[in-house]
Amino acid sequence: MSTPEVKQPRVRTHALGAYIAGVGFTKDGETLAAATGAGEIHLRSVAGEDAKVVKAHAGAVLSFVPHPDGVSFLSGGDDGRLVRTTAAGETEELFRQQGRWIEALAAHPAGPFACAVGKELRVWAKGAAAPVATPAHPSTVAALDFSPDGSRVTAAHYGGVSVWQVAKPGDRPRTLVWKGSHVQVRYSPNGRFIATTTQDNAIHVWRLSSGQDMQMAGYRTKVRQLVWTADSRWLLSDAADCFVAWDFSGKGPEGQPPLEFGFGDGAVMTGIACHPASPFLVGGFENGGVRLGDLDGKRELVLHEAPVEDGKPVRAVAFSSDGWCVAAGAEDGTLLTFDLKTS
Amino acid sequence: MTTSQIPVTVLTGYLGAGKTTLLNRILSENHGRKYAVIINEFGEVGIDNEIVVGTDEEIFEMNNGCICCTVRGDLIRTIGGLMKRAGKLDGIIVETTGLADPAPVAQTFFTDDEVRAKTKLDAVVTLVDAKHFPLRLEDSREAEDQVAFADVILLNKTDLVTPEELRKVEARIRQINPYATIHRTAKSAVDIAKVLDKGAFDLQRILELDPHFLEGGHHHHHHDHDAATCTDPTHDHSHDHHHHDHDHDHDHDHHDHGAVNPKHADDIFSVSATVEGHVDPDKFQKWISDTLRDQGQNILRSKGILSVEGAVQRYVFQAVHMIADSSWGQKWRDGEKRISKIVFIGRHLDAAALRGGFEACRA
Repeated sequence: MSTPEVKQPRVRTHALGAYIAGVGFTKDGETLAAATGAGEIHLRSVAGEDAKVVKAHAGAVLSFVPHPDGVSFLSGGDDGRLVRTTAAGETEELFRQQGRWIEALAAHPAGPFACAVGKELRVWAKGAAAPVATPAHPSTVAALDFSPDGSRVTAAHYGGVSVWQVAKPGDRPRTLVWKGSHVQVRYSPNGRFIATTTQDNAIHVWRLSSGQDMQMAGYRTKVRQLVWTADSRWLLSDAADCFVAWDFSGKGPEGQPPLEFGFGDGAVMTGIACHPASPFLVGGFENGGVRLGDLDGKRELVLHEAPVEDGKPVRAVAFSSDGWCVAAGAEDGTLLTFDLKTS
Repeated sequence: MTTSQIPVTVLTGYLGAGKTTLLNRILSENHGRKYAVIINEFGEVGIDNEIVVGTDEEIFEMNNGCICCTVRGDLIRTIGGLMKRAGKLDGIIVETTGLADPAPVAQTFFTDDEVRAKTKLDAVVTLVDAKHFPLRLEDSREAEDQVAFADVILLNKTDLVTPEELRKVEARIRQINPYATIHRTAKSAVDIAKVLDKGAFDLQRILELDPHFLEGGHHHHHHDHDAATCTDPTHDHSHDHHHHDHDHDHDHDHHDHGAVNPKHADDIFSVSATVEGHVDPDKFQKWISDTLRDQGQNILRSKGILSVEGAVQRYVFQAVHMIADSSWGQKWRDGEKRISKIVFIGRHLDAAALRGGFEACRA
């Protein structure tokens, strides 16, 4: 995997007609999928013009991730269903609970995946046909993430996070406590930290070896998306009008101001993704703009100018696994793809 | 971001007051509109083609040091999810559990940025069981809070009480909340236009703070001969109830509403204060901020309409506990008498201090 040259990439735009709740790529990078508020999974050939639309849910898709198999996608809906959709457009219902929303969903490349059903989780071990339920959390689970080795799944909820063993979902979880409503959770790729975002416009981070925690505040609005760089050095998020990066090298970010760069037009970032290998980021903004950030060079490149009027927030951003393609989906259904190789 | 905010109606009421019946009525009526309903008690509302979402009430304090900034985390998530759905929603109805304090629900709509951007609190509608309300008041604080919070009250199950009982219960409601619109109903039967799209939290639509301004024409004024009634000597007059028509020249002269004397030390009552003429906006801001900071736990709701020298618009203010909101509202009419007025509904209010404080804001 090599670092993309920061040149103006080729952009393609598609109108999907409904809120884009998630975007993702197959492992081979050939198919891009976007899930919408109309319950549809749009499957598009990255290089060509082939496109297919699959109606996977009765209502809206609320959560969306690539399936561990690398050739399909998982979507959770407000119809209470968890559905697997292949790149070829075939769907399979994996789980259904009438009257519940599937809002939190995570998958690990090694095979396991899990979703939240209200206060409980359903965990599929690698290759398992049926899920195992965890006991209930004290409140509804808002987000999930797998540890880098795939052995743990962590649930964010009110009052902190609970770390469950994938192999023994019935065992008592390790809990990391911080008062507040936790809305997102992300392990650092080296497995040393768990970061969450909280309702009160802040990020909370626990060091797993000691259980020590730290708080990063000062965001303009509620932080909803978190990413770590592949080397685990930097933690970044949306919710600021620039790229804000917390440095976890050395003694960590405590007492240090974050690195801030790429002040654009004042719009607040609403979606972010990190390159799978290099310190490159893509931020989507509330006005529909998309920018590439280069952490080493502390500079940015505008990938897509925000529309002059009526630009809607970009909510979902993803890199392909080779890092050469970026997809960004907005509230109004605008799907942008950027080919970073061509310029 | 104000163009297409979806109105949210909060439906409260003690267990058995008729909330589910009202919801089923609203959802089954052929109004051609699309509502999403967020409920806590599952399984009772069952109408096809409507969006009914069950959530677990999740109340928490914001970590901002403000002890009464409690919000509903489940509502924040649910509204975020509803916003992803394709197709337009005409409204959202949030049903609270019977024992719920309406404050966290209302505060959610002022606190979370995304919720504020996409939705607006329209009104708190409270169902009251005419038969059992007096008993409820004795054994629960929530029943009283729900009435105090209301913009619209459906005094329900009127078919189960005598006219005398009804008169008494309505008087008791008025003691707690003189400003809500009351509709008498049986079996929750009400024109949904009287419940939805009221704009009660819309500062642009607040024109008057007359206890009778919002009342329907069928309301009978009376004085209870109990000691605990409104001491306003003008209440007994027969108003013509056409105050909605603000082109019509009405003559208000309730200069100084008295506070209701509560029966129990914990009872909710209201205090209003009036200043003839202008107030100084800086003095007012300082005073109201201090007042809400110090007494916001006891002040459930407050609203004000102020006249500011040199300004052609009313300066309007409202707060839910400590969370306040203000802006320039409707214009004063030419020649209209400039009066500044503020009302508080709460517990343990020091009426003299509140009036004195407001008086001191006089320009």
